[in-house]
Amino acid sequence: MNMINGRSGHRLMLALTALTSLLIAGCDLPASKAIDQAAFDAGEQLAINGREGVIACTACHGANGEGNWDTGFPRLAGLHPTYLVKQLNDFAGDPLDIGVDLEPIARDYVKTPRIYKDLTIYSPGIRTDAMMNDIGAALTAEEKNNLAVYYSNLAFETSPIPADFQSLERGLDLAQRGKPEYMMPRCDACHAAKGQGFGALFPPLAGQPPQYIISQINKWQSGERNNDNLSMMKNVATQLTAGDKINIAKYYANQSYRVNME
Amino acid sequence: MNSLLAKTSVVLTGFTLVLGTVVLSAAEIDPLEVRPTLVQPAVSLPTNLVTVPVVNPGEFFMPPNFDDIPDDKTGDMVRLGRNIFTNTQEYGARYVGNGLNCVSCHLSEGRQPYAGPLWAAVGMFPISRNKNRRVVTYEERIQDCFKYSLDGIAPTVDSPEMIALVTYSKWLATGVPIGVSMPGRGFATIKKTHDPDSIDGEIVYRNKCAMCHGDNGEGQKHADGSYMFPPLWGLDSFNRAAGMNKVKTAATFIKANMPLGSGYTLSDDEALDVAVYMWIHFRPDDPRQSFLMNRFGAKPGGGG
Repeated sequence: MNMINGRSGHRLMLALTALTSLLIAGCDLPASKAIDQAAFDAGEQLAINGREGVIACTACHGANGEGNWDTGFPRLAGLHPTYLVKQLNDFAGDPLDIGVDLEPIARDYVKTPRIYKDLTIYSPGIRTDAMMNDIGAALTAEEKNNLAVYYSNLAFETSPIPADFQSLERGLDLAQRGKPEYMMPRCDACHAAKGQGFGALFPPLAGQPPQYIISQINKWQSGERNNDNLSMMKNVATQLTAGDKINIAKYYANQSYRVNME
Repeated sequence: MNSLLAKTSVVLTGFTLVLGTVVLSAAEIDPLEVRPTLVQPAVSLPTNLVTVPVVNPGEFFMPPNFDDIPDDKTGDMVRLGRNIFTNTQEYGARYVGNGLNCVSCHLSEGRQPYAGPLWAAVGMFPISRNKNRRVVTYEERIQDCFKYSLDGIAPTVDSPEMIALVTYSKWLATGVPIGVSMPGRGFATIKKTHDPDSIDGEIVYRNKCAMCHGDNGEGQKHADGSYMFPPLWGLDSFNRAAGMNKVKTAATFIKANMPLGSGYTLSDDEALDVAVYMWIHFRPDDPRQSFLMNRFGAKPGGGG
């Protein structure tokens, strides 16, 4: 090891590092996971062209699954395939039709706020959306799987949206600490630091249009969406005010996110 | 002699086989099976908006904002303490011995009421603790956390890490009256109606907990090896001397906080059942006791 000290040692280490990186770069490393190519191609076909009774996914979700950041249609590229399949299945369920007009929870801070918690253990598991319910019902199980394989293997990199520091501070506070006085957990506890997501159950919040995040939280609150496991998101969403939604959306839109990019 | 050995071994083998079949059938649980002891009368209401006035946020003390940490040396210590608290794996790497961080249990960076918040604890120390059988200071209490809950070694009371943690706790408790037991201190209070049952606990665990904490309590890891959801038993979890290894304490924590975000949705019995299910599994040895006592002695924490 006494070769490494000193200037000649540093030159030696530099040369060795350069040599090693050349050797590694020279090798064509295989893809880290094997893709089901047939499913990928079928999914690509369906996403770009659609079929009888199913509109093309790219019409709303973007040519490369990046979503539509003006209208708030979500990014699909790089999401976990199991998550995508579950959401498509939940779209296919019967939409909520209970005949009661459910309003989002109104937070009146003049009076002492109450905590609303859903005592349902097993969520009915439906997700209401004007466009997606018909599409989800029309797709077959194999098509859903193919689309999931296709979209989960697409590459995506988001461009962070700048925001004022007050909103970012509030958003960071919610993400890292939640609202302890309301027993609301921090977003990072499940969605991972900086909204990178974790596994099949907790999708990434970074790299999603801010309007999508806000509209989904609204849907959690009104009950139009209740396909969360154990009502976890329902209980979180009921604690969020309108200002919180804006702050958290701005915060996550400000995070960098890249997936499947070499 | 040989024939006697042979006969004994045959008898023992036969005995084990008989016992083996009995145990096997009891261990196969359908996770959706409903047992009479598990059925709790549930409220049935017409809408899905249920008012459960469990917590009144106006009653809880609110620690200062993260952005209000002062820009002086004390503030630097507060920041270091917060880093150690939230990322003990990295900032307390000298001392931590398993895969947990302080925030694995002291939720929301030690702010969450009924999740062992720091702001409620600091003002009560020094205090007499049954576990130590004497009056202990706050630093010694943190040392116990490192030795048992983090299955590691304790920092000395004058180490930078300890000073940082105490400074962070003190900063969180800015404005809390000293010696006053604040609402939100500790965990929930529960009533026990019958002895907790680990088979019911397994059903509750598989339905509610396994999604995050793993089917075998192993937790879930990030790609870099750090834990996203902490392990509840096994070598990477808290050891047998930890407070969470006491069924009553664990049940009060689970009742108030779990599933995460849905505190107070389990019944008292469900919380006790799942706590005892967590308690029966293997975890690292009690460092206070010898190897043989850990093997053959009574496992601590089983009361209640």
